Amino acid sequence: MRHHKLKVLLGLVAVAVLVGALSAGVGSAKSDRTAGPAAKQATYKIFLIPKFIGIPVFTLNGKGGKEAGKKLGDTVTYNGPTEASAAKQVPFIDTAVRQGYNAIVISANDPNAVAPALKRAQDRGLKVVSYDADAAKDARTVYVSPPDTQSIGAGLVEWVGSQVGYKGQIAILSATTTAANQNAWIAVIKKTLKKPKYKGLKLAKIAYGNDNDTKSAQETQALLQAYPNLKGIIAPTSVGLPAAARVLQQAKKCGSIALTGLATPNSMRAYTKKGCGKKFGLWNEVDFGYLAVYVAHAVLDGKLTGKAGESLVAGRLGRRTIGKNSTMPMGPPLVFTPKNIDKYHF
Amino acid sequence: MKLSPQTLAQAAFRLREAGIFIALTVAVLLFWARANNFMTIANWQDIATDVAIVAVLAVGQTMVVLTRNIDLSVGSIVGLTAYISSDTLAHHHGLPLGVVVLLAVTIGIGLGLVNGLLVTVGRIPAIIATIGTLAIFRGLLFEITNGQNVLAFQLPERFLNLAARKPVGLPFLAWIAIAIAIAGAAVLRWAPWGRDFYAVGSNPDAARYAGIPVGRRVLTAFVLSGALAGLGGFMFAARFASVDAVAGTNLEFDAVTAVVIGGVNVFGGSGTVLGAALGAVLVATIQDGFTLLKLSEFWKMFFNGTAIVVAVTIDALVTQRLQEALRRRRRAEMVAAREQGAAT
Amino acid sequence: MRRVGLGVLVRWETVLVLLILAVGVWCRSLSPLFLTRVNLLDLATPYIFIGLMALGLTFVIIAGEIDISVASILAVSVVVLGQIYEAGANIWFAALVGLLVATGLGLVNGFLVAVVGLPSLAVTLGTLAAYRGLAFLIHSGEGVASFPTQFTNIGIGYVWGQQVPVALLVFLGAAVALGFLLHATRFGRYIYALGANREAARYSGIPVTRARIAVFGLSGLLAGIAGLVYVGFFGSSRADAADGSLLDVVTAVVLGGVDIFGGSGSMVGVVLSVLLVAELRNGMQLDNIGGDTQNIVIGVLLLAAILAGNAIRALQTSGLRTRIARASKKEVVRTAGQAEGTT
Repeated sequence: MRHHKLKVLLGLVAVAVLVGALSAGVGSAKSDRTAGPAAKQATYKIFLIPKFIGIPVFTLNGKGGKEAGKKLGDTVTYNGPTEASAAKQVPFIDTAVRQGYNAIVISANDPNAVAPALKRAQDRGLKVVSYDADAAKDARTVYVSPPDTQSIGAGLVEWVGSQVGYKGQIAILSATTTAANQNAWIAVIKKTLKKPKYKGLKLAKIAYGNDNDTKSAQETQALLQAYPNLKGIIAPTSVGLPAAARVLQQAKKCGSIALTGLATPNSMRAYTKKGCGKKFGLWNEVDFGYLAVYVAHAVLDGKLTGKAGESLVAGRLGRRTIGKNSTMPMGPPLVFTPKNIDKYHF
Repeated sequence: MKLSPQTLAQAAFRLREAGIFIALTVAVLLFWARANNFMTIANWQDIATDVAIVAVLAVGQTMVVLTRNIDLSVGSIVGLTAYISSDTLAHHHGLPLGVVVLLAVTIGIGLGLVNGLLVTVGRIPAIIATIGTLAIFRGLLFEITNGQNVLAFQLPERFLNLAARKPVGLPFLAWIAIAIAIAGAAVLRWAPWGRDFYAVGSNPDAARYAGIPVGRRVLTAFVLSGALAGLGGFMFAARFASVDAVAGTNLEFDAVTAVVIGGVNVFGGSGTVLGAALGAVLVATIQDGFTLLKLSEFWKMFFNGTAIVVAVTIDALVTQRLQEALRRRRRAEMVAAREQGAAT
Repeated sequence: MRRVGLGVLVRWETVLVLLILAVGVWCRSLSPLFLTRVNLLDLATPYIFIGLMALGLTFVIIAGEIDISVASILAVSVVVLGQIYEAGANIWFAALVGLLVATGLGLVNGFLVAVVGLPSLAVTLGTLAAYRGLAFLIHSGEGVASFPTQFTNIGIGYVWGQQVPVALLVFLGAAVALGFLLHATRFGRYIYALGANREAARYSGIPVTRARIAVFGLSGLLAGIAGLVYVGFFGSSRADAADGSLLDVVTAVVLGGVDIFGGSGSMVGVVLSVLLVAELRNGMQLDNIGGDTQNIVIGVLLLAAILAGNAIRALQTSGLRTRIARASKKEVVRTAGQAEGTT
């Protein structure tokens, strides 16, 4: 009998310790996540769900979203699963509805799999805006899209061409052979090179750096060795471009080989200022989240309904207009040069 | 000449390693014939770099699996130590790399100790304990990174050049992997406590009766696996230079796959480091060949899975043959003994 | 001493119930929205497909095996269902084929384990990758999305005044049926016997090979049913379905008190643990606690619960051990006496 009592007691102690530990451990995490905005009198509550949390791209979206929320007087919450899984995004959508949020801004892992949950939200009066990766069309009001493939691919060619006088051998340093966005950009680059303006540029080789610093650096070195007359390199990857810049700097070839591509200004600042990669681009992930939240606010105000031609003034980004398929493009990518790079910090 | 069961078992292992070697040769010949650029020095250097981290993890995993356990948390340990070592270097450019390696390995040892204690003292089955710590360690990494990452430009150049160095034509990381594999093989062959791993795995109760401190050996195996995962984290940071919260995700699957294809028995007690390392090389070679042939990721996945099943099927068949051979030999010996007895 | 009597199981379930209540109190303190009827009724719905896979896996683990390929089986069946429906077939026919395919893939696992004699961890590690690859090879684009309502109701519909989710009823119904199969039939007894001691089971005349194949087939079938609920609830049939849910499935089974080495466990425990994990995630989500912190909490809960369980068992077996020691001493004395008597 004594044993029985002891066992029950032990079970209870275990539960108590557990619950105590959990609430103590989580309490702190919670307070710094929900403080701030909740204290203010907010007009709307907006829930921003990235594909998954934990990587800088989405963290920056969240930062921009919160910045917009502050401007507009809205409460913006940034949260999501730790894996790129639609099934794990749905519980966040459902609880946002029950918590009384007014709008959901989402980058969908699977456009269809999040659609039923988003429609449930719409049925309860919430507004839905998708950004980055679209959700099914009937499950959102507006889609805020990243800069389109065409303008990026054409931009890359122009950036390198303008540096070399539209003449000479160029190469591409890509990520992996199977990356869909890379291959789409490369296709546009090839098409653009056929235009009369770029007739003088000859694509010598496409190298693959596997989105890995070491490999990208090695591939750049191999390009320098194999093509001594190389005039320019296009590296549309945020890993490959800084790696190529480092190699060019080490080889003292910044003056003779023009470098361009897509990367964050922080990762290129040191090189660009010394003349390695004098012109490159990227869209601003902070602005991306900022714009998406502005759009959500306008949809809640009833100022945007998703019709082509509707527009809004999105704070510091200026006026933006909705195009086909209720899609509002982010606009062309930002172009960084040694002169303007210190204005950007991301 | 008399063959003891031990020598027969060893012969079988040699057979097993020979088997992987043959598979490797066949794969190499096929890819050589079909894929351009496969048989080039640069490509083999790529494969060697690819395989290095998985091979180091596979050595640690071999130790753990030999003791009839499993360590599924290594991917999370790699992520944690990769981030901590690169973040430390980003803030202290002058720090000797040896110190950073030491830091990563020490953290790995600490995390391995947690796993080992949960399994030995806490008596939680390894598969569950390490599924739990897989989630916990990864969660901690998310908390530490707070959604940020370390990028190549923040790191000192000597660190960035580390992975690109190729002493005697072989990438530096591959040399580390080779050194670790040799050390691991030596431990399992000559260190008394290393040999104990086999005894613990083939029959824990018998090992206990034989006076082997089973708990301490299992703990050692987990600590070693943690330490090697820590080293793997450093290698990961050196290789990729940019590290974020999802670094090293799913590496535990690669390590276990290498171990299983390499002929280490998942029920413990048999297998070699050489086999596991060859398993890792085989998987990496096939992956590389598939990439060069421009086959989709999906075929790779399908093929990888099938390869595991085929490898364990061959294992099972070899074991069956071996047991039959042993039984026949014993019967022959008994018959001989009886005849001798009848003769006298 | 791995085999645990019914008494402890009852107590383990008691611990789970207490945990559910304690976590409930904690969640209520996190958010006042937690204790609303809508929230409580719907809290488990997004996790039902995980729960269904856990119910199938329970049989496998009690039988002393493991099946880590369940999420990949779900993906294949979902893609097959989508493709057949898109080709113009009746949705229920497509669903039936999906279930058959899932069961078939489970039987392949079973064949490799029971007939070829391979370790289940290695086999299902292989098929985990192979089946996922297969799902993508069958169809790698966007899945079919427009399924008829009468079908999606399995996952997303409500009954009884639009209050009770159908998926929850599917889960509880499956749990009751499988609970009956496990606890009240000869097949169920076979499963426990297999997990406790396979050799002994063979000698006692149990059709070991057939039972082991059946267990994997059952696990496949449940992954298929989980696939139907998945398609119903998420309305999508992509090849990456249920990717990354394996850890949740295994956690649910183990937290439910099923011995990972086989031979013990109960359906009620697994159902309770599925509800417990769903409750925890829901409560933390209502308070906007990050996905990463949620994972840590559930990892800690899993380990702490098992440590607590082990402590309880250790107490019990220490009691048992003294009893056994006493009994065996008596036995020794008695046999010694008998031996003396015979000589």
